[in-house]
Amino acid sequence: MAINPASAASAYANANRMAQSAAPGAGEDFGQLLHKAAAGFVGTLDKSEQASLQAVTGKADLTAVTEAVTNAEMALQTVVAVRDRVISAYQDILKMPI
Amino acid sequence: MELDKSFAIAFSGMDAQSERLKVIAENLANVDSTAQTPGGDPYKRKIISFQDTFDRTLGVDKVKVAGIRTIDEGLGRRYEPGHPAADASGYVTTSNVNSITELMDMREAERSYEANLNVIDAAKSMLSRIIDLLHG
Repeated sequence: MAINPASAASAYANANRMAQSAAPGAGEDFGQLLHKAAAGFVGTLDKSEQASLQAVTGKADLTAVTEAVTNAEMALQTVVAVRDRVISAYQDILKMPI
Repeated sequence: MELDKSFAIAFSGMDAQSERLKVIAENLANVDSTAQTPGGDPYKRKIISFQDTFDRTLGVDKVKVAGIRTIDEGLGRRYEPGHPAADASGYVTTSNVNSITELMDMREAERSYEANLNVIDAAKSMLSRIIDLLHG
């Protein structure tokens, strides 16, 4: 994963400022929300990596590994879906005739 | 997310059933285990019990193994003079494991495990569907 979640989040924050869209929730803009989501996602991935490592060394249960990997898989799918949606929104704006 | 919680609950059920199968395997493997001295105890059947446990971080009821205890009743006797554990009249105390009971228990553990797996499958497919919706 070469994309830094922090830089991605700040890019989203900039886009948000440019778009002047309404912030979801009190005192939280869309960029912060994404930053939080990205941090949570990285944590989930870390957990799954640790569990896999422990399984290889015979310290973790296969159930625990499956749980961690399933969580990571679902988190990844969600992040990819959100990213795709954000990019498609960007492209819609880029293609807008001026 | 609610579906994440379903994952965690189902996985705790699978853990519990794995433990149950371990106990059943012990019972089945030791069905013929006897003492090695006269008057000694043979292998005694173990049974597992479960209990619900509240997970504070998720706010859900999971399942956990409450304990494994041994059953003292129902030990058998077999006439086998010459066995190291045979008493003065030639009888050996045998374990109280009944293979048929254990096999039934094993089936039950298997079905329970499967049920939890199906929950995970369902939760996963529901999550995938909602993510597909997000994809547009």
